[in-house]
Amino acid sequence: MTNLLQALMSGLALGGIYALVALGFSITHTTTRTLNFGQGEFLVGGAFVGVAALLLLAGKGPVGVLAAADVSLGRYAAALVACVAVLGLLGALMYFIAIRPFFGMSGMAWVMSTIGFGIILQNTALAIWGAGSVAMPSPLGDGVIRVFGAGIRPQEILVLATTAVVMLALDHLLRRTRIGKAVRAVAANPQAAALMGINVGAMVVLAFVVSSGLAGVAGLLIAPITTASVFMGLTIALKAFSSAIVGGLTNPRGCIAGGFLLGVIEALVGLWRAELREITIFVLIIAVLVVKPEGLFGQKPFEKV
Amino acid sequence: MRLHTLGFGLAVVAAVLVPALMANEFYLKIIFTAGVYYLAAAGLNVLVGWSGQKSLGHAGLYAAGAYTAALLTAQAGWNPWLALIASAVVAGGFGVLIALPSLRVKGPSLAMVTIGFGIVVEKIVTEWQVPFGGQAGIYGVLPPTIGGRMLGMREWAWLVLAFGLVTHLMLRTLLRGKFGRALQAVQAAEVAAESVGVNVYRMKVLAFVISAVTCGVAGALVAQQNQYINSDFITFNLSIFLLLTVLFGGPSVMGPALGAIVLTLMDAFLARWPGLQHFTYGALLLFALYAMPQGLAGALGAIGRRLWPRLQRAEPLPPVAGEWVPRYPAVRDAGGVMLRASGLHKAYGGVVPTHDVSLELRPGHVHALIGPNGAGKTTLLNILSGIVAPDRGRIEFAGDDITRCGASEVCQRGIARTFQNLKLFAHMSVLDNVLVGLHPHLGVGFWASLVGWRSARAEEREARAEAARLLAFVGLAERAHDEAGSLPYGLQRRLELTRALATHPRLLLLDEPAAGLNPQETEALTALIARIAAQGITVLLIEHHMDLVMAVSDHVLVLDHGVKIAEGTPAEVQRNPQVIAAYLGVDDDDGDDTEAIAEGAAC
Repeated sequence: MTNLLQALMSGLALGGIYALVALGFSITHTTTRTLNFGQGEFLVGGAFVGVAALLLLAGKGPVGVLAAADVSLGRYAAALVACVAVLGLLGALMYFIAIRPFFGMSGMAWVMSTIGFGIILQNTALAIWGAGSVAMPSPLGDGVIRVFGAGIRPQEILVLATTAVVMLALDHLLRRTRIGKAVRAVAANPQAAALMGINVGAMVVLAFVVSSGLAGVAGLLIAPITTASVFMGLTIALKAFSSAIVGGLTNPRGCIAGGFLLGVIEALVGLWRAELREITIFVLIIAVLVVKPEGLFGQKPFEKV
Repeated sequence: MRLHTLGFGLAVVAAVLVPALMANEFYLKIIFTAGVYYLAAAGLNVLVGWSGQKSLGHAGLYAAGAYTAALLTAQAGWNPWLALIASAVVAGGFGVLIALPSLRVKGPSLAMVTIGFGIVVEKIVTEWQVPFGGQAGIYGVLPPTIGGRMLGMREWAWLVLAFGLVTHLMLRTLLRGKFGRALQAVQAAEVAAESVGVNVYRMKVLAFVISAVTCGVAGALVAQQNQYINSDFITFNLSIFLLLTVLFGGPSVMGPALGAIVLTLMDAFLARWPGLQHFTYGALLLFALYAMPQGLAGALGAIGRRLWPRLQRAEPLPPVAGEWVPRYPAVRDAGGVMLRASGLHKAYGGVVPTHDVSLELRPGHVHALIGPNGAGKTTLLNILSGIVAPDRGRIEFAGDDITRCGASEVCQRGIARTFQNLKLFAHMSVLDNVLVGLHPHLGVGFWASLVGWRSARAEEREARAEAARLLAFVGLAERAHDEAGSLPYGLQRRLELTRALATHPRLLLLDEPAAGLNPQETEALTALIARIAAQGITVLLIEHHMDLVMAVSDHVLVLDHGVKIAEGTPAEVQRNPQVIAAYLGVDDDDGDDTEAIAEGAAC
């Protein structure tokens, strides 16, 4: 029972990470019908920008070892801002280099180019920080909080809290503000949005900035749990994409639900047999695709013949 | 053709001589590696370049082949040659498996699913000690022997090159025939491919299986040559590398060979700087497609054609012998029924584009389906042609119930159609568009097409002769070698009609064939439809040009808001007050005026 509670908690934390990245996929997919296949590398970027920011704040060089004393809640928040800013910029850069030139080209040139951009990003990180993993202490310490006998790591609570705040803010932004309405209008119909005087180009760049920023936040949040590694991106991005498929790529709220669902399923299966985690998830994806290809909360695409 | 024979001969000589003259094991190994990558890429090219599907998980198929060969020889004691064949079969089975989602998802989601497949396989062979040995891998994989003798590096190079050359010949034969055309059609426009009788899903599975088999054999060869396999061979990077080889080489039969040779050499050259190696892949992925959308083969081909224009010349069409005639002409029969639809109903939420519609089409007659915009005409046509399944109702065609048949089967049974928004295979030639239309009537099987059996070649010749007759019939013979998308709009419409005719329909469904045509073109089309009908092909056409409708049709059906409101001869329908009301609205007091306007609208 305590095990179950513990697994549930870490599943939710992991699910929060998936949800953040999945949300990023959904935002660019709805606005441009493209998404960043190198998103995992952006998450890696987030983790290492966080490491560098924390080291710099502690008065050390950008490459080195983080001690527990180097990480306070204030510095962690500052690192979060740095992550969003740097990754947002990278997102815009990627849009201009890897997406825009291939817009409307047949096949999926942009799939390959975003992967290429990700590979370059990953190898840049590899050249700077090396192949080994870098431990990042949690700003809340590495102690364990006991709830009903289950050990819960404070970082997991921080992940959940941050995720919740980010998502509520984004949801509010998309539904209640002028700029959010503009983004949604572009998602619904770019031509009509342009005719209504919305700057479609700017909204599309914004979508990529937000999407990459979300991946950066996810990277910073997960680093204290798994340690920061140059190679951690692909699997997480893949599961995040699976979450988006399960929840429905077209529905941001569905993506969030899918993220948490997958995180919890993964943790529970891991409790039972760790080596079956990945397989279970991908079998689940296939099942969802067969039964409801548009996702549990997605919109059925309508194709006019 | 002769050029290819010459090139192939040179390649054979090079494949024999180069390894023979090379003493350095390292260089021989590079040849072996390039050969293996070629094998994997050649199959993947069928998937990516021809059928237009993407896979980022081919490392998983490579693993399927490699581990099959490893387990069967090291643990089950199989003969290494048998194990090699078995690895092709097992990998092919996995190919069917990853083709399954392609029925439901497209584009990026499918790409992501294939990544998922690759990652799962990678995790399984890494984490499952039994039977895959985890990270330690499997030792003692047996290599094939020839006459009891182990192969040296030079023999390995020869073996792989021989495999490569045979694969090249077979895939080239296959892709130049009906399967190659059908795969390209699937890539260009799936709905259109279905509508000319190509089973899209089967074609996708075929492409996945071909790519899986060559990739599995490549994996098995590597495991057997190393006599060892572990999970380090199976990485996402391998999947990327294979796809990069195909894209860098370009979607042509020569593409994978060029890609494999250049990238393997580059790989070997950059191996000293592993960081740089990956940077280069990244940069190639980013920029190769930008600079050379058609890959290296496309870029070289363009240069070659400029230097030597003869390369461009397509094989001329055979001379036209006799006029094109339909295979299943109907005898005009006012009492007979070719197609009977009863109670067809289709709703999209609250919108009901087809509301309990019943109709009968008579053999040899021209029927017209008219109605205001949004009346549900196209939906009805989509239901009849099997593209949309009705919620209820029944369609009988030539006595058979075809209500539940998919589009390709409907076409195979003798109903062809055109589309309101043209759906040509734009990047294929006019001739190839017509030949795809003939696809359901080409009986030759996969294996015969693969090895270029005499029956396959004879059938191909006959198909070209028939296509030439048909193109002459519709007046497109001069444009046979032009790219379909480069034709003027009016001719594109005519080509789509020609492609539908090529399927030898008994019933031809035309969705606004005159949309966007100028008066002269409309007149020519009217004459063409009349000639088609005179050949005994039953026609149902949707049209807004009333002069065309009135000129060619024997019988007119009128649809409004999903309901059939009238039918009869053109003259009867023109006088029908309900029809006039549907087109012009109801005017309470001034009947004469309405009639006058109706006359005007009808012209």
